[in-house]
Amino acid sequence: MSNKTILIVDDDPDVRLGLNIRLKANHYNVVFAPDGMASIAEARKHSPDLIILDLGLPAGDGFSVMERLKANDSLALIPVIVLSARDPSANRERALKAGAKAFLQKPVDNAKLLSMIRKVLGEKDLTPRLVHDLGEL
Amino acid sequence: MANSTSDNTKRKPLQVLLVEDNAGDVRLLREMFSTETADDFELTHFLRMSDAVVHLAKGGVDIALLDLGLPDAHGLETLRRARAVAPDVPVIVLTGLDDEALAAEAMKEGAQDYLIKGQIENRALPRALRHAIERHRMQGEANQIRTLQLRLKDEFLSHVSHELRSPLTAIYQFVTILLDGLAGEVQPEQAEYLRITLRNVRQLESMIADLLEVTRIQEGKLNIEPQAASLRNTIMETVSMFEGTAAAKGITIRANIPAGLPLAYVDPSRARQVLINLISNAIKFTPKGGEIKAQMRIFEEDPSFLAVEIADTGCGIKPEASKLIFERLFQANEPSEEGRKGLGLGLYISNELVVRQGGKIWVTSEPQKGSNFFFTVPIFSLASLIGPILTNEVKPGYGIAVLVVEMESQDGSLSPDVRIEMSSVARTLLQRCLLPDLDVVLPKMDSGDAQELFFVVARANKQGAEVMSKRIREQFRRCEQLQRAGLTFMVSSSFLPPISRSATEPVEEFAGHVAATIQEHINMMVEARSVPT
Repeated sequence: MSNKTILIVDDDPDVRLGLNIRLKANHYNVVFAPDGMASIAEARKHSPDLIILDLGLPAGDGFSVMERLKANDSLALIPVIVLSARDPSANRERALKAGAKAFLQKPVDNAKLLSMIRKVLGEKDLTPRLVHDLGEL
Repeated sequence: MANSTSDNTKRKPLQVLLVEDNAGDVRLLREMFSTETADDFELTHFLRMSDAVVHLAKGGVDIALLDLGLPDAHGLETLRRARAVAPDVPVIVLTGLDDEALAAEAMKEGAQDYLIKGQIENRALPRALRHAIERHRMQGEANQIRTLQLRLKDEFLSHVSHELRSPLTAIYQFVTILLDGLAGEVQPEQAEYLRITLRNVRQLESMIADLLEVTRIQEGKLNIEPQAASLRNTIMETVSMFEGTAAAKGITIRANIPAGLPLAYVDPSRARQVLINLISNAIKFTPKGGEIKAQMRIFEEDPSFLAVEIADTGCGIKPEASKLIFERLFQANEPSEEGRKGLGLGLYISNELVVRQGGKIWVTSEPQKGSNFFFTVPIFSLASLIGPILTNEVKPGYGIAVLVVEMESQDGSLSPDVRIEMSSVARTLLQRCLLPDLDVVLPKMDSGDAQELFFVVARANKQGAEVMSKRIREQFRRCEQLQRAGLTFMVSSSFLPPISRSATEPVEEFAGHVAATIQEHINMMVEARSVPT
């Protein structure tokens, strides 16, 4: 299946680990950055196919990360999905304006996250659900 | 503005504005001010409200004395105009002896005090003025503090709710990792316990969502976007979403909704939120073997509304509680309910959502037999939307043009996020191209996966319609945001066969005819789009 590389930028190590397991199980290569500064360096180093970006980050929040990605020719085209606990009504529009392809609120349903990743990566959404969907209540 | 220095030795004179048209009353009041307290007050007098308003707007007035019967303003109107330009200036109302009822009304509308003409004592006047100023200042402070406290509370709630989401994310991630066997095989009993955990994670998540929704309601930030929508679909989808949960509890649930009911004018996602709340409550309170029914019909009391009913055979609600349950934080004290979890915000939120969409919500119930929850939503009426542009007299040669703007994504799909944002950008642009008296942008009528359609109904002649199409095209082409999102646009306009209104035909009936023709036209357009190419 896919061998695309995804860069996860999140300051919460638990969330990073959780996403790592989930994405690896879906055959993605995963690399990490714990803050805004490191995210740019990691993006340069690995040229990921996609970045999953938190908004509240030390050393440069998600918005400034997107700004810096935009300003850099070799990074400007990497698609970004924002994954944040913040209020969508106050941040979705801002994130999309800053260049994000989508805004997902934490905690995000596994199925929803994976299908969004596939969509942004331009893969067919075959949805072989390795996820638990009890139906949202 | 209000001068509250209490330096007794060198007090600045208070600026008193007197608005009074009766020369005798003016003279009397002037005399009162000119005696012993001459240094304390400086009186400015106007005969007319229009002059007084200008003076008030300039600022510097400490207190206003208003007669409520002026040549150019009468009754409470006088007070309202003063408060509108200078809400910070305390007002004392001057009334006649027989006008105390009016004075009481004025107090309700924010006047600090009233004085009855002819009964004002020399000594009492300065005191009344000072008291009014002081009271006004204290009220202002109290209001400020309360507003600040409310804002702090809302900010705190909002902050806490978001902070709670982060650990919840980690819990959700790892529970599902275990459940999906990504960390090794799970025994059936363990899987069962993990599923219980997951269910509780969902509950916690929805409680946090409710908490945030309530802060949004309090802050007036609730976002509702009504459109012409089939509530039938929304109800059927929501009911089928709950089939599993109901079956697991031994409850049957079904939707019984006749086809052919008119479209509602609602925000479908908000209507769904109300339905989810009512149905999940029904399931919660209905015992095994019970039944839940969802129905919809035209509201008997007012046929311009649809009434939705969710009926259960649950424990019911005591009559004295049936109003209270829609209030914030209300929870019936029924210790018999097992596994009750919730903040008691669901019905409060539902009530807000329904009321803000123009409807109402209520319940009828018999304890131990069941409850019937009802809510109403307005029926979508094209006629009432286009009515206003049809009432105006227009030049000959003018007819009805329907303009269709198609927004399509170049790569063949629109993500929901992009759709929401770009639609609102597109709507703003459209509004900018229109004349408010002659043209209407219809609410969202239909959209596919890859495109969004906007309809504009314009009262114009052929040439005017073309000019408008051109203007719209240019606006869209120039909009950077839309270009960046990779969207393409097509604007087409069509002229409907002239529909003329006979002199005797009421506007509403005429609007109905025109609306029917437009609706037909739109249906044709939409059908043509949905044929896969």
